Amino acid sequence: MPSVIDFFAQGATLVFEPLALALIVVGVVIGLTMGSLPGMTATMTVAVLVSFTFGMEPVQGMMLLLGIYGGALYAGSIPAILIRTPGTPSAAATVFDGFPLAEQGKAGRAIGIATVASFVGGVISVVFLAVLAPQIATVALAFRSPENFAIAVFGLTIIASISGDSIIKGLISGLLGMFLATVGLDPNLGVPRFSFGVEVLTAGIEFIAVMIGLFGIAEGLARYRAGIDTDSVEQDLSTVRPTLGDLKNISNVTFGSGVVGAFIGAIPGAGGDIASFVTYNEAKRWCSNAVPEFGEGNVLGVAAAESGNNASTGGALIPTLTLGIPGDSVTAILIGALLVHGIRPGPGLFESEPGLVYAIFIGFFLVYVVILILGLVGARYWARLIDFPSMYLWPVIFLLCIVGSIALRGNLLDAWVMLGAGVLGYFMRMDDYPLAPMVLGLILGPIAESNLRRSLQVSGGSLEVIYTSPIAMTILLFSAISLFLPVIRRRIRQYRM
Amino acid sequence: MAKRDVIPHNEIGRREYITTVGALGMGGLAGCAGQLGGDEEEGEFPSQDIEMICPWAAGGGTDLTGRQIADLAQDPLGVSLYVTNQTGGSGSAGFNAIANAETNGYTVGITTVEICTISHLGIADVTPEDLGAVIQYNFDPAALTVPEDAPYSTLEEFVAYAEENPGEIRVSNSGTGAIWHLSAAGFAQQAGIELSHVGYDGGSPATQAVVSGEVEATAASAPEVAGQVQDGPLEILAVFGEERLDMFPEVPTLQELGYDFTMGAWRGLTVPQGTDEERIGTLEEGFTSVYESDEFQSFMEEQGFGLVYRDAEEFGQFMQSEYDRFGGIIDELGLEQSG
Repeated sequence: MPSVIDFFAQGATLVFEPLALALIVVGVVIGLTMGSLPGMTATMTVAVLVSFTFGMEPVQGMMLLLGIYGGALYAGSIPAILIRTPGTPSAAATVFDGFPLAEQGKAGRAIGIATVASFVGGVISVVFLAVLAPQIATVALAFRSPENFAIAVFGLTIIASISGDSIIKGLISGLLGMFLATVGLDPNLGVPRFSFGVEVLTAGIEFIAVMIGLFGIAEGLARYRAGIDTDSVEQDLSTVRPTLGDLKNISNVTFGSGVVGAFIGAIPGAGGDIASFVTYNEAKRWCSNAVPEFGEGNVLGVAAAESGNNASTGGALIPTLTLGIPGDSVTAILIGALLVHGIRPGPGLFESEPGLVYAIFIGFFLVYVVILILGLVGARYWARLIDFPSMYLWPVIFLLCIVGSIALRGNLLDAWVMLGAGVLGYFMRMDDYPLAPMVLGLILGPIAESNLRRSLQVSGGSLEVIYTSPIAMTILLFSAISLFLPVIRRRIRQYRM
Repeated sequence: MAKRDVIPHNEIGRREYITTVGALGMGGLAGCAGQLGGDEEEGEFPSQDIEMICPWAAGGGTDLTGRQIADLAQDPLGVSLYVTNQTGGSGSAGFNAIANAETNGYTVGITTVEICTISHLGIADVTPEDLGAVIQYNFDPAALTVPEDAPYSTLEEFVAYAEENPGEIRVSNSGTGAIWHLSAAGFAQQAGIELSHVGYDGGSPATQAVVSGEVEATAASAPEVAGQVQDGPLEILAVFGEERLDMFPEVPTLQELGYDFTMGAWRGLTVPQGTDEERIGTLEEGFTSVYESDEFQSFMEEQGFGLVYRDAEEFGQFMQSEYDRFGGIIDELGLEQSG
């Protein structure tokens, strides 16, 4: 049996070649650019550009997408600090202390702290990923259909905690996703469902096309409706390199938030936004005597939020790679990207494609190194992007959405599906229906369905096969617990008030 | 354990060949342009680029082999060939694209065994009658694989066990209605035994199900199970091909064991029905010389794809007989849908 060192060597040979390394840098630059623009989320950027990775080797494509992922999550902090508008939802908690710092003329210091904290959080999460994922995969390899069914159910219960204010709307969104996923061939009988005799529909709805629409078109339409305006800023960003004193000051909070953030990221469906709120609140609790107070421009607040949201990225990759269940909406698209390459994320991936898995570990680490360098060197340039009128950018994104969706399978239907999903997503957003549950439904619905039915097929129709499996029952118990997460989160929110 | 998924029918594999960013989309557009400009001169064929439609995703076995042929055929045919992937609907999107292309010989389809099954399964209407055969270049037989510690270690014992315990042996496959499902079902029919078939999402999960003990056996292609057979807990009882496999020379074929039954996944090249016979002949000649080249032969062997050749006439007859045979098996299984 090859050892872990062999796998790392195998991964390293895939990453340390000119194109892969270049793509990491390109990905981070794209991520930094888009993340710095208010409203351009990591999810949207990855969704719009994912099709352009299909022409690459899987490892190369992953390097580009991971670069965007990390870069955008970090760069969301820049507009959060400068103009009180988080570049990505994950940077919302960065506003609390980042903007007061900017008001005091210390934006450079805040961005410097955010950069270092993002780096530390990201690296902690990559270490978590590299240590935990292979172990989890080994366990998950023994999973049979009942256990896989339970895991998918667990993933679906996360809908409760990502639904925002209305669980009902979250459920509607999630069920809509599950329904859309039933179009096409029945996974167990092989007969067409909901195809209405239309041959192209027997192939099913391509969920990446839906995601491109939901996160590209719908987002853009919503932006246009809200009116595209930008605040101008003048800040002294000549020195973003944090002082030694600052670094010492934030080290405990940054490490702690990194660990917590990685754990939260590993919960399916819980991404950087939840992670940063939780770590921010935790830091606030730990350092209740901090001066200045949290919310009035304490660098600890920036460090906690940024370390937390970037730590969620490596965490989110854990269930993605080991179970095939997305940790957040970006990793949901990464699953789709791998599937297009014929690679199915899940425990089998660690056996069939160890090189790819370890390349992801190494590559993601390098992503954060590049972020640290580009962030410290170029923060003042990314900051200028805030002034870029995004009205010129959205048409380009719309175009990329269309080209990207056709490129999925060379099928025009996918472009229509994408546009349909975009319009649907727009109206859902207008009425405050969360979109993330729909994505979970799309991906997890078929996994839950086919594994439940397969379990019953294997057992001859008896549910015994599920309740006699200790693992499945444990996971289902966790599912029940996770349903109570929104209650806990509500308490956290009350606590913050 | 360097194990690679080489799964012919559902294309789990890795893309290796296109490197241009966005080549898929651009290729699709170029494909349309190529068809529009089909106003070629009389007499000289081929005088313009040939499009090869691949009904399966880039990076899978069909795509890999097709691109290899496209590369090598530039020499004998004297024109460029380019592959476009038009995927979806268990191959029907691509098969339809081939069937509906212009009959000028400038569109060649990479065609797989599914052309003979999907109309019986009610997935699409396209059948071998919509296509004209050029050559067959590959055949990968099914392999019946069980755990080493199973109560049967030969096919004979397997059949005897199944006779005594009808329906008790559960056989995993890569997907309901997929070729490996039909292979297992066809064999059960031939042997007069009753097996329970369980569909999984691809060849790896199906193999994993035997390893984890969820099912008792699997029918898949040899490369798919090779990793778990060579240094794992599984063993192959029989292969469903006409000859033993180089990879597992000790494993007997069904025919040696007294069952007149062969089945597996295959690939070939076709053109739209109604294409000029002379042009088919030119293509057949060009592609045959590709097939015979050392480069192609060693490529196929390295990648673990079985080499079987049929010329245009034989391939046409073969597709028709496969079509009829699968109709019978699918009928028996009760899989087909009336629309």
